[in-house]
Amino acid sequence: MNSPWEPKIVAFLCHWCSYAGADLAGVSRIQYPPNIRVVRVPCSGSVDPLYILKALREGADGVLVSGCHPGDCHYLSGNYFARRKFLVLHKLLDLLGLRDRVHFSWVSASEGQRFADVVKAVTEVVRSLGPNPLREGESTCDTP
Amino acid sequence: MTLHDAARKLLEEHKVQGVLGYRKGSLPFRTRPYLFRDPCEIEELVFNPFCGLNLARYLLFLPQGIERVAIVAKGCDGRACVALVRENRLRRENLLILGVPCPGMVDTRKLAEWEGLKEHEVTLRGGEIVIRGVAYPLASFLDASCRRCRYRSPLVYDILVEGGEVPSLPQEDTLRELRSLPEEKRWEFFRKELSRCIRCYACRNACPMCYCKECFAESHKPSFLHPSPTLRDNFVFHIGRAMHLAGRCVECGACERACPLGIPIATLFLAVSDTVREHFAFEAGVDVAAPAPFVTYREDDPNAFIR
Ligand code: SF4
Ligand code: SF4
Ligand code: SF4
Repeated sequence: MNSPWEPKIVAFLCHWCSYAGADLAGVSRIQYPPNIRVVRVPCSGSVDPLYILKALREGADGVLVSGCHPGDCHYLSGNYFARRKFLVLHKLLDLLGLRDRVHFSWVSASEGQRFADVVKAVTEVVRSLGPNPLREGESTCDTP
Repeated sequence: MTLHDAARKLLEEHKVQGVLGYRKGSLPFRTRPYLFRDPCEIEELVFNPFCGLNLARYLLFLPQGIERVAIVAKGCDGRACVALVRENRLRRENLLILGVPCPGMVDTRKLAEWEGLKEHEVTLRGGEIVIRGVAYPLASFLDASCRRCRYRSPLVYDILVEGGEVPSLPQEDTLRELRSLPEEKRWEFFRKELSRCIRCYACRNACPMCYCKECFAESHKPSFLHPSPTLRDNFVFHIGRAMHLAGRCVECGACERACPLGIPIATLFLAVSDTVREHFAFEAGVDVAAPAPFVTYREDDPNAFIR
């Protein structure tokens, strides 16, 4: 009954690179921790910082956002725009003392092994932080 | 020309249909925004270190029939005007910026120690504030946003009024202390402050740049947070708002002054402004023509934080 706590990590993966990278990790039977819950998005540039905040609000212990390497965006520049937003969010969460709850990575469609390594590393960091501190005094109200 | 003469003249000569300025509030150390439409009312116009509201906010809600309006603008109101013109919320030609050099705004929370303090017992003298006959350095009484202010007089104006002593205050890095704390202490600070918020939205409603008809905080489809003021919902509201203010916040501190609980909420927006300044070389409300930082990018933008 009392299974040890396991972090839940929401991963926003871009359709063209990181999601395909995750797929490759799967078909290549590379092992990685089962802690991530994948949400496929068209582009890292489509990840509104509010998605990340909402994931934390709903109780995710960590968030990973992954897109194509700079220069490889399917839409040419979506990840460059994303990078600016993510930098601001990263710095702000750093000030709040929550920096290591939210991670960003570039993983291409051919990097199955790299995808597994990123997930491993992120899971370890989030595990070491413990459960999401926003959950204290949690209300029962959920957003629709 | 003094502020009063300039304002009266503008109304008398029908250069504008109204002058947006401050008037004495009903509580001590408070002022309220007021649209002066009649030159005889101008004697009630005030400008002192308790004019912390950002008047540019009210430019977006003018009554009908006001085509051209003058605004009493300290440095940050002026920046908000520029930022709003940039975002096509206002037309520059309908706006007359009546610039006033700003001495900085006093954080009224700091006057709480003096019981029953009356307004006339507080005066300014150069870089000092005199309270019941005792002089203290003004800098330590100012709001965090004013202690770090870079533009005390508006950068863009039509008339700059004389007078109003502007003490040359050192520009202080008000976030340094917080940044130097270890991570757990920073979270402890924000957890405590964010938990206190009752989500009255006064901070957002005081902000000149928060003019959305439908704010994400009250949106139901999609819904990002619940109306209950729990830590996690407050977190989404404030961090989400800070992201919306990135590259748009004019660092006026009006949000913080509006907060009934005295939560140092501007800290978040000032921090975001610092990031945008440091990494994207952009300051809101400074240049009408500069491209917004999030509609452009550089290939060599910081990348080390990404795995
Ligand atoms: S004004 Fe203060 S209490 Fe009201 S929503 Fe803003 S931070 Fe919260
Ligand atoms: S967020 Fe606060 S400091 Fe920034 S523009 Fe709005 S009211 Fe001013
Ligand atoms: S917080 Fe964002 S959505 Fe809400 S009014 Fe401000 S800018 Fe608009």
